[in-house]
Amino acid sequence: MILVSPLARLGHWALGLLAGIGRFSTFTLDAISHGIRPPFHGREIALAFLQIGWLSLPVVGLTALFTGGALALQIYAGGNRFGAEAVVPQIVAIGMVRELGPVLVGLMIAARVTSSIAAEIATMKVTEQIDALVTLSTDPMKYLVLPRVLAGLLCVPALVAVGDIIGVMGGWLVATERLGFVSAPYLRNTINFLEPLDIVSSLTKGAVFGFLATLMGCWFGLNSGRGAMGVGRATKGAVVAAAVAILAANLILTEAFFSA
Amino acid sequence: MIELRGLTKSFGANTVLNGIDLDVKRGESLVVIGGSGTGKSVLLKCILGLIDPDSGTIRIDSQDVTRIPRQALLSRFGMLFQGGALFDSLPVWQNVAFRQLKGRMPRAIAKAHAIETLARVGLPARTADLYPAELSGGMQKRAALARAIAAQPEVIFFDEPTAGLDPIMAGVINDLIREAVTDLGATAITITHDMTTVRTVADRITLLHGGLLRWVGAVADLDQSGDAYVDQFIHGRSQGPITALR
Ligand SMILES: Nc1ncnc2c1ncn2[C@@H]1O[C@H](COP(=O)(O)OP(=O)(O)O)[C@@H](O)[C@H]1O
Ligand SMILES: [Mg+2]
Repeated sequence: MILVSPLARLGHWALGLLAGIGRFSTFTLDAISHGIRPPFHGREIALAFLQIGWLSLPVVGLTALFTGGALALQIYAGGNRFGAEAVVPQIVAIGMVRELGPVLVGLMIAARVTSSIAAEIATMKVTEQIDALVTLSTDPMKYLVLPRVLAGLLCVPALVAVGDIIGVMGGWLVATERLGFVSAPYLRNTINFLEPLDIVSSLTKGAVFGFLATLMGCWFGLNSGRGAMGVGRATKGAVVAAAVAILAANLILTEAFFSA
Repeated sequence: MIELRGLTKSFGANTVLNGIDLDVKRGESLVVIGGSGTGKSVLLKCILGLIDPDSGTIRIDSQDVTRIPRQALLSRFGMLFQGGALFDSLPVWQNVAFRQLKGRMPRAIAKAHAIETLARVGLPARTADLYPAELSGGMQKRAALARAIAAQPEVIFFDEPTAGLDPIMAGVINDLIREAVTDLGATAITITHDMTTVRTVADRITLLHGGLLRWVGAVADLDQSGDAYVDQFIHGRSQGPITALR
């Protein structure tokens, strides 16, 4: 018994994990399949775009602005040690567009959007609103999940683009105001240095992160336990899962795009 | 029209339904009574397919529910949930008209219809544009009732329709449920603890206890049921076969 029981527990745990992965995969495929099957709930989709895309602009802009500025300061200080402080515009551009733009926007979306999706859907679950929806012949996948995931998939790349631009401008602002760079050559260096692949990778990451962030919110919300504690757990689980998934996906995508 | 055979449902070690057999005829009003936590709500949710039973069959119009497309089936049903379950992201009228709006009814017509339905449950027209969170508990319950009956479903389930209402409003709701059955020919299952509701609404009554329907009978036989459980329940005695932990 003493030997068997930890093994049994491990087996039990592994089976549970596999079943969970299976259910999550089915859920993901189901969500995608609803994207190509009418009817669509136009109002819900429009609202999701407003909530997830438009209203995330301020937080995305501020995050990118401050990070771009700090990045310029650090690169200048670090580059200084090798007499390479002139590379600030290039490194800010590549750092922002390839990595920090998408990752920081993704994480801010996990904080702002995943949490609110999970809490809202979990509360609906706990207060029988999901049951009511089904009883009124409306599929929660179509009414709740699809609009949010679609908005994540399409809005977050746009947010990343905005974040990239504002981040670069944050670096430019600090470089020209504090570090003695001249505005026009700084911008010319930035633009000349960036390649199409940098931008494609940035937007692709945005789409993947937006998909993951919204999907996690919906999944944890719909699988919420009962009561206020269930809602709290669902929200926490969704944000943690979204953040970890975004960071892991980032490594995979960086590898796919940039490892020669 | 609704036939249940050998329905069982457990949550972990907690066996809630333990072999339920029940027939509800078309146009009949059945009332389910029973202590709280005995599985009355779970029973209704099994019939609607919101909870999968562990075993047993559910047939509607002699067809196994697992063989009928769910959306088509549910479009014939209306349900008042115990907690109301109004969508709090939508104003009251859009809750009431939810099915009609999804069915592409023009918004102005749907709204007018919703306001009419709200009036039937005693809610003034000004509540139509409020959000559910702005209503009192009893008003939410009535708005939810309006949503359940708005599309004139063939089958309506009411889960504790009068809980939390004042006696006068409870009377209005009882009459409304009776009307839905008598005038519109709906089939109704009502869960209640309210003996006035039982006597106004029921054609037949059943008592759920210990996972089983202990007694099924006509409302006229309620007082001479000869069943100790039923007697204890309708008279609200603390002593009897149903143990009340203290
Ligand atoms: N989703 C669920 N998960 C676990 N237990 C549940 C669930 N729904 C109901 N139960 C349990 O089933 C029992 C019956 O619940 P319910 O049908 O709501 O009682 P009532 O007769 O008061 O309506 C309760 O013990 C409740 O804890
Ligand atoms: Mg109940």
